[in-house]
Amino acid sequence: MGKKTTDQAGLDRRGFLTGVAVAGGAGLSAPAQAQSNPMLMAQAQPAPAPAARPKAPLPTAAQTAAENEHPPHMEALTTEKTGSDFMVDVCKTLNIDFMASCPGSTFRALQESFINYGQNKKPEWLTCLHEEVSVGMAHGYAKVAGKPMAAILHGTVGTQHAAMGIYNAYCDRVPMILFTASAGPVEDRRPGVEWMHSVQDGAATVRDFVKWDDYPWSLQSFAESTVRGYALACAEPPGPILITADGKLQEAELSKKEEAILKIPKLTRGTQTVGDPAALKEAAKMLVAAENPVIIVDRYARSQEGVDNLVRLAELLQAPVVDKQSRMNFPSQHYLYQNARGGALVGQADCILSLEPVDLFGQLNRVRDQIERTWRRTSKPTAKVISLSTHDLLMKANYQDFQRYSAADLAITADAQATLPYLIEAVEREIGDRKSMFTARGQKMRDAFKAFAARAHADGALGWDSSPISGARMFAELWNQVKNEDWAFMSPNNYAGNWQHRLWPIEKHYQYIGSSGGSGVGYEPVAALGAALAHREIGGRLPIAIVGDGNFNMAPSVMWTAAHHKIPFLMIIQNNRAYHQEVMHIQRMANRHNRGIESGVIGTEITNPNIDYAGLAKSYGATGIGPISDPKELGEAIRKGVAAVKAGNPVLIDVIMQPRG
Amino acid sequence: MKIFTITLLAGLSLCANPALAQQAGAPAGNIENGKKHYTTDGCYQCHGTVGNGAALTGPKLANTELPFEAFLMQLRQPSNDMAPYEAKIISDATVADIYAWLQSLPKSPDPKSLPLLTGMGVK
Ligand code: HEC
Ligand SMILES: Cc1ncc(C[n+]2csc(CCOP(=O)(O)OP(=O)(O)O)c2C)c(N)n1
Ligand SMILES: [Mg+2]
Repeated sequence: MGKKTTDQAGLDRRGFLTGVAVAGGAGLSAPAQAQSNPMLMAQAQPAPAPAARPKAPLPTAAQTAAENEHPPHMEALTTEKTGSDFMVDVCKTLNIDFMASCPGSTFRALQESFINYGQNKKPEWLTCLHEEVSVGMAHGYAKVAGKPMAAILHGTVGTQHAAMGIYNAYCDRVPMILFTASAGPVEDRRPGVEWMHSVQDGAATVRDFVKWDDYPWSLQSFAESTVRGYALACAEPPGPILITADGKLQEAELSKKEEAILKIPKLTRGTQTVGDPAALKEAAKMLVAAENPVIIVDRYARSQEGVDNLVRLAELLQAPVVDKQSRMNFPSQHYLYQNARGGALVGQADCILSLEPVDLFGQLNRVRDQIERTWRRTSKPTAKVISLSTHDLLMKANYQDFQRYSAADLAITADAQATLPYLIEAVEREIGDRKSMFTARGQKMRDAFKAFAARAHADGALGWDSSPISGARMFAELWNQVKNEDWAFMSPNNYAGNWQHRLWPIEKHYQYIGSSGGSGVGYEPVAALGAALAHREIGGRLPIAIVGDGNFNMAPSVMWTAAHHKIPFLMIIQNNRAYHQEVMHIQRMANRHNRGIESGVIGTEITNPNIDYAGLAKSYGATGIGPISDPKELGEAIRKGVAAVKAGNPVLIDVIMQPRG
Repeated sequence: MKIFTITLLAGLSLCANPALAQQAGAPAGNIENGKKHYTTDGCYQCHGTVGNGAALTGPKLANTELPFEAFLMQLRQPSNDMAPYEAKIISDATVADIYAWLQSLPKSPDPKSLPLLTGMGVK
């Protein structure tokens, strides 16, 4: 018989089964076609009933092979070991705890190997309902766990969905181990969708914002690239890496002979770059000689050790710290935490030490958002600037996250956290026995700090009883319910009015994890899901995320993944019923154009109808509370929410809040 | 912008006496109309629905101590990033109404009367 299309074969197969069951016999050609189609065999498995055995014998493999004009060994339909099993062996050596995924057939062999051969442990498979959730989860997880987890993306379409989340992590310099896949060589691909999801170069879509990628063409190469990728992802500055797992490599049988010669290289994580001693000595001299030194810190601390070292350095110099908050860098209740007058301090500084700046230019200058984009230097032109950072070690051409070029007077290219102990030593040597030389400066800082709390309280009292609820009120009610818990914020400060840092004592590194990196909206819920998973693994913590309504709508399904995998957290929707950032932008344009100043909400408000976020959370199997618009009801709502979190549930509370802060 | 800074500073020094601030040339405004325009014309977006201010978008305006001229000048010729409001889109009279509404708002409570606020970690 001639070749048939899959559809025809499908019809034949159904006909064959009926024939077997009812008539007890069938011609050879139809079963032959069906047996050569593994998908149809899978459908067929549950069908046969013992009472209806065919009288005629089924065709042998040789007969089937002859029928299909290929050698008998190609009729082998099962195997106990495939390349994908070996890929699991490789991942197991890396101690990866979780693999997030939205399923896709390009990695079907790998998925099956992970859950069966790998027993769904280290990594455990997590179900996400969008690839942006998978990678966003990995983003938040790494910032709390201090190590990467993995995510796997369906060939082409999955990677496309994941792209923004990968970009956020890249900009935020966060490691993640990403896999995608592609059907094998052309002659192996089934017509149709396997072609749509195959790709010459699986990483091309995201190459501009991953640190490294590879498409290994052998299992040995897969092992080496995955281990190399892991080490690279973690080396400062960290970032996502992407490996494409070829379909044929995954699905092909792995013979004992082949397996015997495969070697998984051991993982050695390189030491981090430390600043040149001569440069550190020079920096110490400049800092000790300065009258008004300021430390600006941004994407600096990756652990408590980094925080503690910065406290030592700041205290040695009695220098104020201005925190740009890409990480938890310095305790918000330390008297040297001087953000409340950061602008003035930078303006007066004669020496600025900038640790891991995301945007050195922006730290020293200001650009006005008017038709004429005038800019001015906010720091003194004579101020000496020292940068200590890995900024220049990871930079690509296309995406512009590197910010405007700004030359420091002394630029030390090194990992700031790893270097700080050596800078401290150099400063100690420079100070020598003049230990009390900065006491007066320290006293000034203490005095200034005392005024900050009073100002925060006065500002917080404004609009205390307002509805929509003010940021200060929400954070006060929240504090009242969680003050005795081991709480940790998983969401950024900027849209929540900075109250976290103004009103709460943020002392431990894990209590704040910074922001998205790339400002891709949707980060907040997905990173919170991953961070909450890491907190769950550590245990005893109460993870909290304040999430914008616009952000939440990009990935509401996080509530389902959290419910399904039992990841508890408290999520407060900061519901201003708008993409409020954009409301303000459109208002600005209308004003600038002298027209329609009442229309800024067209296309930016999320009203009419209002979204029932609590109902949405419930529909995903999580706890949903709200909407709460009366501040007097908020305390009780949060109390209930916290109790539900402590019982192991993901909880969403919808709070109708002021547009900002 | 320079001129504005001087006006603003002069305004602030006048404000040492709140009674003077109230009288500093402010035309009598229609409070109700001011309340309406504060919302429809977008002030609430950056300054909060009750003039409460927000750390990153706009300072507090409730019971503003700025004299009216400085207030008006900020709309016409913003000192920095604020979106400009020229007379074509918001008249002096409407600005006066908004000013009157902001002045009419009840004084913010004394933080000392709010233990929930002052009882947080920050001392
Ligand atoms: C897009 C955001 C935005 C909008 C809309 C906006 N403002 Fe502002 N406003 C600001 C910012 C930011 C400042 C701080 C000064 C600056 O950057 O120009 C400010 C400052 C002010 C000040 C000076 C306050 C002080 O104490 O120094 C006044 C008065 C003011 N705004 C009134 C208004 C009024 C009235 C409206 C509505 C008609 C309005 N603003 C709309 C952002 C905004
Ligand atoms: C993927 C993506 N789309 C659009 C934007 C533009 N954008 C920036 S902030 C913002 C609003 C986010 O809404 P929400 O989380 O509710 O915060 P809000 O501004 O209302 O406080 C939008 C749409 C973006 N940054 N990223
Ligand atoms: Mg919003």
